[in-house]
Amino acid sequence: MAIDVKGVLSPLSAIGTLFEHPKTITYPAVKKDIPLGYRGFHINNLETCIGCASCEEVCMNDAIDMVHPDIEYNIKNTSGCVPRIDYGRCCWCSLCTDVCPPDSLKLDNICTHADSNPDNFLYMPKNHKSIGEEVS
Amino acid sequence: MKNDLENTIKIFHGPQHPGITGNMSVELDLLGETIKRAQTHVGYLHRGFEKLVERRTVVQAFTIVCRICVPEPDPNEENFARAVENLTGLEISEKAKYIRTMVLEMQRLATMFLWMGGQAGSIGLGLIPQWSVCDRDYMLDLFEELTGGRVYHMYAFPGGVRRDLPEGFLSRLSDLLDYYEKRIIVYNNTFFDNIIFKKRAIGVGIVNADDVIKNAYVGQVMRGCGIKKDVRKDMPYLMYDKLDFDIPVQSDGDVYARALVRRDEMLQSIKILRQIIKQMPSEGDILQKIPKHRKFKLPADDTYVQTESARGAMSYYMAGDGSEKIRRMQVRGPSLVHAYTLLEKLLVDSQLSDVAMTMNSLGICPPEIER
Repeated sequence: MAIDVKGVLSPLSAIGTLFEHPKTITYPAVKKDIPLGYRGFHINNLETCIGCASCEEVCMNDAIDMVHPDIEYNIKNTSGCVPRIDYGRCCWCSLCTDVCPPDSLKLDNICTHADSNPDNFLYMPKNHKSIGEEVS
Repeated sequence: MKNDLENTIKIFHGPQHPGITGNMSVELDLLGETIKRAQTHVGYLHRGFEKLVERRTVVQAFTIVCRICVPEPDPNEENFARAVENLTGLEISEKAKYIRTMVLEMQRLATMFLWMGGQAGSIGLGLIPQWSVCDRDYMLDLFEELTGGRVYHMYAFPGGVRRDLPEGFLSRLSDLLDYYEKRIIVYNNTFFDNIIFKKRAIGVGIVNADDVIKNAYVGQVMRGCGIKKDVRKDMPYLMYDKLDFDIPVQSDGDVYARALVRRDEMLQSIKILRQIIKQMPSEGDILQKIPKHRKFKLPADDTYVQTESARGAMSYYMAGDGSEKIRRMQVRGPSLVHAYTLLEKLLVDSQLSDVAMTMNSLGICPPEIER
């Protein structure tokens, strides 16, 4: 029976990879760049949010509640409510941002959250005018 | 046979087992190391996708279908979008068609890399999964940039796609294809030509062409025993009729033949993607104007669509009743026939150590069974 010489020797070419530069990154010292369009946490420009609840209606997981904020941000917000997201239910499909009439609700590229209090997963989107810019 | 079964011991391969292809298990009756009876069990997923879809509006339902197969969600999204477009008469632009074709082929490559890791890992070649999962991640990076998600893209939408191509995306895709072409040569040397893989896979899990026709097996199981069929050629959809590619086939019908078919399909996908990069229109609507989600109604009609996934033909039947909800949706993927009719038969008289390898070669994805 003939020996498959190629089959025996060719896998040894893997040894060459020992001299290659590693492809992994040393997380958390080096963090991976997350692209701008990533579907991460919600942000909401509360000065333009009109409280129409379109986001609440389209959400198939019932992850969005309309709640009263501490202060009034927009006088045109007739309901006086803004969305609050339950990240125990959200599937980050981004339908809520697609249907937002004033285009105030968006998804940020920030996507990590750790907290010992489960209530903090009921997340009120921070007041942002645009992705990456927070308004105090 | 009866005497054999009396002396067997019973073990469960899965659901908690690294060699199982998802949330399922195979009940095995063993005589020594030889399998005398195999029985597939599903029921660990508790989803019922078809019913979930029927309870939601068309717009809401599209986010569910991608979950029918985690390793390759895009054929499901494509089927869903095309079925709704057929029912409502929505025409999508040429650019949207090209983007969808590109996404399907990118997904095929990503799925093949994941399969390669599973197939090699199932026979103890631990290096290949490390490499192939890393190489798949480069494709997921591009998906992340294009769709906003790595695994569940939720990108193909009735009427087109949800986002336009980012700046410089096609050039980055082209660079990745150059890298993949080099990597496939490396995988050839270390995996496909590896004597360990050949010794383990040749002559194991043989399927013959008559069985394929009789039981409607699809994908690499079909092409691995010499039947040259592919939905992309037989019932062209999107832009496949304008793209030049071959259907790779092998004649032996065993695990090794199916692996070679997959390897050749990866090369064909790269060829297709290179053509798409050249032919991609610069102008065109990416998404047609569609009604709001409560007003998006399906007519009282039905349709049937098919897409060639990385594991075989994936079909959807969809019926509307004039309301905003889908009256009935039925999913037919490769997994049901492969996991029940085929796997149970192939495992009889094979060795315990071949179970994971055989299962991986069939492209089984349990959510498709528990649909």
